[in-house]
Amino acid sequence: MNIQEYISSGIVESYVLGLADHEERADFDRMCAAHAEVRKARELFELSLEEQAMLNAVTPSKNIKSKIFAEIEIESEKINDQSFIDDDPLYVADGTRSEGPAKIKAMGWLRYLAAASIALLIISTALNFYLFNQYKSYSSRYATLMAQQTELAKNNDIMRTRLTAYEGTIAMLRDPDMAVIKMPGTNVPTSPDSSSVATVYWNTKSKDVYLLVNNLPQPPSDKQYQLWAIVDGQPVDAGVFDVQSVDGLLRMKNMPRAQIFAVTLEKRGGSVAPEGPMYVLGKVS
Amino acid sequence: MGTVITYTEHELVSLLKDRDSKAFGYLYDNYSGALNSIILQILNDVELANDVLQEVFINVWKKIESYDQTKGRLFTWMLNIARNASIDTLRSKNYQNTQKNRSLPENVDALGKGYTGELNIDHIGLKKVLEKLKEEHRVLIELAYFKGYTHEEIAEIETIPLGTVKTRIRNALIQLREHLK
Repeated sequence: MNIQEYISSGIVESYVLGLADHEERADFDRMCAAHAEVRKARELFELSLEEQAMLNAVTPSKNIKSKIFAEIEIESEKINDQSFIDDDPLYVADGTRSEGPAKIKAMGWLRYLAAASIALLIISTALNFYLFNQYKSYSSRYATLMAQQTELAKNNDIMRTRLTAYEGTIAMLRDPDMAVIKMPGTNVPTSPDSSSVATVYWNTKSKDVYLLVNNLPQPPSDKQYQLWAIVDGQPVDAGVFDVQSVDGLLRMKNMPRAQIFAVTLEKRGGSVAPEGPMYVLGKVS
Repeated sequence: MGTVITYTEHELVSLLKDRDSKAFGYLYDNYSGALNSIILQILNDVELANDVLQEVFINVWKKIESYDQTKGRLFTWMLNIARNASIDTLRSKNYQNTQKNRSLPENVDALGKGYTGELNIDHIGLKKVLEKLKEEHRVLIELAYFKGYTHEEIAEIETIPLGTVKTRIRNALIQLREHLK
């Protein structure tokens, strides 16, 4: 269908008079937007319809205009009222329609409400601040206590380890097969320190050798004490040891036979045969 | 009446959208008669027409924002508001009851006193133009435009096929345009 056919199909009149259905209207709007001729045809029909209506005008009753304007006045106020109500919901809740006092009353309420809100906010802030400080203080105290607790637990572990070591020592000393060989410095006329004392515990059954340092002077750091077993006049190495870090008995080398035990000061790591000075000596009884 | 002001349609619309009451007064003075005429042609009742006219102008005031100038002239928009409001009233139960109740006594009254309050709406406006159409066309425009029936309803009332209703209404409208020129 070309534009002229479309225009003269009656659609223009149908549209203008409001008789076209939804689809036809949408179609016509599109055609109007696209074609000036369609717009022109619509406008022509509109004008002729308008002219005809004006010619046949029937003047309405005189009072209608004032009624309409009164109504419009109310409508406009409603719009203003609406904005007032929206701003101030308390006014609606109040239900009162009297203009001034209700408004002032509502404002008063609002002011109290605002003041109360601010007061609550201040109290809440102060309380938060106080509680936060309390929290910080407790938190640091807690950290301190935790540190102390850890320290105590560590000490407890050390103590427990030592206790176990001592318990082991005591159990060994109780053993009836354990021979005790006391080695005083006084037994050695050439001892650099005659107050030195050490004791060998020798299990005659298992042949295990333990050493207890009773009193030996701290050696220089390049030197170490060495225990010797004298077997048939020959010195046999029984192991080197340090005097510090001694906790109870030191386990030395196993010794099947021996007549004498002695301690000399040797170079760090020990010697094959004793070279340094002898500090203590004891005979196996 | 004060000084006579005239506006171009464009000026009038933008003033109305700004809720200018002077422009609204002009709109009423200019168009109330033409709109009242179409309302009367549909309702045939002066009292009801007054109420509807009032409703129409208040709706124009309220809904002016939704008026789109690209879709047609301001008068066409208002004419359609007036027609729709009138048809709504025509179809309301209230209207149908009042017509029934008063038909006899008032008509008797009218005959007796040479009653002139009631307009002879068959001789004004579009209805006058309709008289120039062929009967089969006139009836369809009457039903569609003045009674607000849909094409489907008309097909049922007149017991003619829907396609025929559509074609006849289109033809009737084309003739109507010729007579309006």
